Amino acid sequence: MTDVLIDHFTYEYPGSTVKVLNDVDVTFKHNHFSLLTGPSGSGKSTLLYFIAGLYPHFIGNDALGGIKFGDTDIKQIPSNEISHSVAMMFQNPNQQFAMDTVIHELTFVLENMLVDPAKIDGIINHALDFCGIKQLRSRVINTLSGGEKQRVALACIVAMDPPVIVLDEPFASIDPDSRLDLIKKLKQLQVEHGKTIILADHDLNDYKGVIDEFYYLDPDTHHISLLDSQSAQHFFDNFKNTQTINKQVAIPTEAAPSIINIKDFKLQPHHSLLLKLGDFKFCKEKTTLITGANGIGKSTLFNALTKLLPYNGEIDFAGKNIQKIRPLPYAKNVTLLFQDAENQFLNITVKEELDLSLKNRTNQAYSIDDVQTMLKELSIDGRDDQVVYSLSEGQKKKLQIIEMLIMNPPVLLMDEPFKGLDYHSLEVVVGFLNRSKQEFHQTQIIISHQLSGLDTLIDYHANFADQNLTYQEVIK
Amino acid sequence: MNPGLKLLLVMAIALEISFTQSLIVNVILIGVSFIYILFNRVTFKALIGLIFWPLFPALGLFVSQWLYGSAGIHFAWILFTRIYAYVFLGATFTLTSSITNLALTLEQDFRLPSKFAYGVLAAFNLMPKINEEVQIIKTSALMRGEALHFWSPKLYFKAILSSIQWSQNLAEAMTSHGFVEDQGRTHYRVIKITRMDWVWFIGLFGIVQVLLFFIRY
Repeated sequence: MTDVLIDHFTYEYPGSTVKVLNDVDVTFKHNHFSLLTGPSGSGKSTLLYFIAGLYPHFIGNDALGGIKFGDTDIKQIPSNEISHSVAMMFQNPNQQFAMDTVIHELTFVLENMLVDPAKIDGIINHALDFCGIKQLRSRVINTLSGGEKQRVALACIVAMDPPVIVLDEPFASIDPDSRLDLIKKLKQLQVEHGKTIILADHDLNDYKGVIDEFYYLDPDTHHISLLDSQSAQHFFDNFKNTQTINKQVAIPTEAAPSIINIKDFKLQPHHSLLLKLGDFKFCKEKTTLITGANGIGKSTLFNALTKLLPYNGEIDFAGKNIQKIRPLPYAKNVTLLFQDAENQFLNITVKEELDLSLKNRTNQAYSIDDVQTMLKELSIDGRDDQVVYSLSEGQKKKLQIIEMLIMNPPVLLMDEPFKGLDYHSLEVVVGFLNRSKQEFHQTQIIISHQLSGLDTLIDYHANFADQNLTYQEVIK
Repeated sequence: MNPGLKLLLVMAIALEISFTQSLIVNVILIGVSFIYILFNRVTFKALIGLIFWPLFPALGLFVSQWLYGSAGIHFAWILFTRIYAYVFLGATFTLTSSITNLALTLEQDFRLPSKFAYGVLAAFNLMPKINEEVQIIKTSALMRGEALHFWSPKLYFKAILSSIQWSQNLAEAMTSHGFVEDQGRTHYRVIKITRMDWVWFIGLFGIVQVLLFFIRY
């Protein structure tokens, strides 16, 4: 029996007085699928890192209270045996592999666990087979899509075969099909292989009927409580209401003024064709949503639009070929909100970051008061001296969005801007974006898997499929 | 040949020709390395690069020794060929050996701590990402109104920050994948130094000694 017991667990980050986990006292039951939910930045990740045995080693200060696997205190498990008890899947698909190829990573994992070399081939075949990724066996991990990387991460866990599996928002940046598939695989691991699964997510899609226990981390009390089926249902219903987007959008007319025109365009990095467009336009002062399965080339399109990647054909901004516009003026006109918020940061503290945007902006659309209000509305105010890299993923995202809004570029490309945001923050950000568009005439192009809550923002919808981008009236 | 021994051999010979002065041996080393590289099917582009890029330092040394040095044109030629000998010797290793195999043999045969072997390997696997990262840093800085050039401290600051972050993430990833410093591991691919490896190593090293001893020109 490997119940995971969290015993009066209290933790605060080094240099902080806020208890991010306050006297948490719960038991994640053996052979159950437990879902832990709560707003972003509420401390879910922190608890999981402790359960996985990564903290306190990688953070510096210890917590009060204890964690037990069954009768065994986690601190009594020698460091070379902890991976026989628990394995972890991380939120960022890019940060969980040490080796170059899928097969090398799986071999590395099994060697670490002192598996007899004669058994390694068999275990790897089984793990790849279980996750349905036999064809990825020899692929270089850097060239895989996010969804594929998370499948490889799951294959590593299947190969390790620990009784407890913890997952920290593992689906935050992968497409719905991969997500559903991975959730099914996890359920299979629980039911057929007796695993104890603890998964943190604030997106409640696809979990109903799958999970056994529903835990909620309250962001105000920093307590975790197990909800009865009625309260859980309430959460699911609430979430469902916010997950549908019931909006018919128009298809841009011939006459609609455009700001970016794409002609005779071909995008084929690594010699595989991702996108072919004869003639396509993005409309001025409108918000266009781009949807499509993961790994299909949406982010790559943004890389072409920002001249990070070569392409064939022509892209015009305001009637001028973008290759003929100098890099700095172009970057100030067509700006990308990177999917990974850290890519956008140039300074160390929150204040320095905001000051940089205030210094370099090309117009004064936002006043200092506006900025303070925005920080407050997203509850990241009063963190002037905090190092940006020590913010939680959700807080980084919020800061990144605010600093790019301050720059107020005529065209803002956004790659998964709502990733890691809880629903309330998303609504606030949508409000900001609407203001930018309506008051400051911004053109917005958004790649997002998160659809709910965007009804009031989206003007047009372009679907990316079969190497093509087409405007559609329905959003799904 | 075992990549670890090969590296050792290349470094030993390179060190040796730094302290000896034989034009003919340098030329022989260049010739033999060149043929070895050809047999290992490297790309034409890599080969041209190997010949072209060392030309600048080699010519520079040659001209300065020939015109301003006191040891004459023979020594100038030695310096010129020495540069090429270094480059081609190095290429026999870098163009024909896999870094993964090197890490495996360093861990298994040379008893290097596995932390070091896999740390280096993981860092090496990050190299293409570092290039991408620099490009992304520059573009993202432009979008925030800052042009970063290769001499901008901010570019390095940002690149170093990324590396620190990555090394932390990498360490966490390796730990969560069961890697523990200074603990035993099993080896799926056992790389042994064979008798033939030793024969080649000692034989080739011996031949270079003989050549250096007899050919003084």
